[in-house]
Amino acid sequence: MLMEPDCKRQKTEEPRGASPWQVVPVLSERESQGVTLMPVYAAPVLDKKEASRLVKEVSAIYPLGDYPHLKRVRARGSVDSSHPLEMILCRASGRHQQGALRTLSELFPSGQLDPSGLGTPFLTQVPVYPPLTRRQYEEAASHWPVSFHENKRITQALSGCLFTPSEKTALQSHMELAIQAAQRGARQGMKPVGAVVVDPATGRVLAVGHDCRDGINPLLHAAMVCIDLVACGQGGGAYRYQDYPGCSFLLSANGLDQSSGADGLPYICTGYDMYLTREPCVMCAMALVHSRIERVFYGAPSPHGALATKYHIHSRKDLNHRYEVYRGILEDRCCDLAHLSVPK
Amino acid sequence: MEAAAAAGERVVFAEETEAWMDRAIDMAKEALGNGEVPVGCLMVYNNEIIGKGKNEVNETKNATRHAEMVAIDEVIDWCHQHKKDPEEVFRHTVLYVTVEPCIMCAAALRMMKIPLVVYGCQNERFGGCGSVLNISSATLTDTGEPFQCIPGYRSEEAVEMLKTFYRQENPNAPKSKVRKKECVI
Repeated sequence: MLMEPDCKRQKTEEPRGASPWQVVPVLSERESQGVTLMPVYAAPVLDKKEASRLVKEVSAIYPLGDYPHLKRVRARGSVDSSHPLEMILCRASGRHQQGALRTLSELFPSGQLDPSGLGTPFLTQVPVYPPLTRRQYEEAASHWPVSFHENKRITQALSGCLFTPSEKTALQSHMELAIQAAQRGARQGMKPVGAVVVDPATGRVLAVGHDCRDGINPLLHAAMVCIDLVACGQGGGAYRYQDYPGCSFLLSANGLDQSSGADGLPYICTGYDMYLTREPCVMCAMALVHSRIERVFYGAPSPHGALATKYHIHSRKDLNHRYEVYRGILEDRCCDLAHLSVPK
Repeated sequence: MEAAAAAGERVVFAEETEAWMDRAIDMAKEALGNGEVPVGCLMVYNNEIIGKGKNEVNETKNATRHAEMVAIDEVIDWCHQHKKDPEEVFRHTVLYVTVEPCIMCAAALRMMKIPLVVYGCQNERFGGCGSVLNISSATLTDTGEPFQCIPGYRSEEAVEMLKTFYRQENPNAPKSKVRKKECVI
């Protein structure tokens, strides 16, 4: 078992009256899924002394190369069982059509296998993919024994232990900045969504912004604003924000930035964290991939969100950059922003 | 090319499509000649170019400044100058672009409610019109409307230009961040 500090379901010291919140990791699609099963032919091993020979011979004929997580043999649970072990013979698909029972001589037609010690084949369901989380492992193992290489970081994150209390305090204060930006934007008739970019290497806030889609440009959602504000801080930027004091950036001191590239200059949002009061849409989630953001923290889920709600754009293997995502930071207060009346 | 498609209320004919795509390819060639990402992109409304775009990621240090995003901004400016309602104009605008729009741009085009996108080659790394995700035709909450795509016109040339460009590497990326096959389309 993992050495886990005594921090189960820890809650941050909250100011009185504030609702508690938890940092919840948003895992990839594969990590969030339930277990997918596939049919295999298995057979009881009637004579335990034959087991290792049978495993060797069956594995040579039907290797489980694509399914290295599957254990070939399982022990029968019940003591009164007529046989102590069962073993996987082969997948029940393709030429061995699903559903149809086969005899040993049908499954091993050319006599490469000495079937002594093997009982009558039966069909069973086994997990298709290796388990990635403890939950998946437990579900998978209830069908057939599998190996599990636990990612301790994921386990820690899922148990709420990834962030120390002082880190949680920092998450909270950065999200508070994003909430304040959303409120300032709303006072100017903007949608009440806020964003903040922080360099975690230095703790410095590099950009604070709010949604400007109803002001400067219809595509300037809060995340797009902050990406552009970071660019402004690096001497670039595509838009000007002088009419929106809720949008501001820190001018980067070139060469002093610790998270910068090898030549000493910061490169887009590499290494930075973004805080968003609500889950970003497809455009913004992909903009954060292009911007090489390191981590995203958001408060409220959104029906058009492209991280936990749909697509998991932060964790797709077919894209060239991935970022970590955590949700739930000051979730209630972020949800409440939606009810801010927008003056027109 | 037989394709003809309804864009809003008007019909786009194949010869017209080809003529605009030839223009987009010329723009991409010009960009390549200037050491820029070779993507050409035109917004056409009532047989008139009202927006053009080239990739401005390096000059703005903003990784979202793809050609399509720049062209959308030009159309908005054009609408302001001509006192037109952008929503109405975008509804009758066709985008011609040498490379399949990425996931981000596809979502942006949906939100602007552009009805039709004609493009050259697939964007295997980031494509949002079917190559990686199908944002152009997906059913999405509060993310504009789906749009129609006509792919494939002069696609070999479009691909060839991109390959040529990325063989040179992006001189603006810091050394540690440059990867050989990286594409910022």
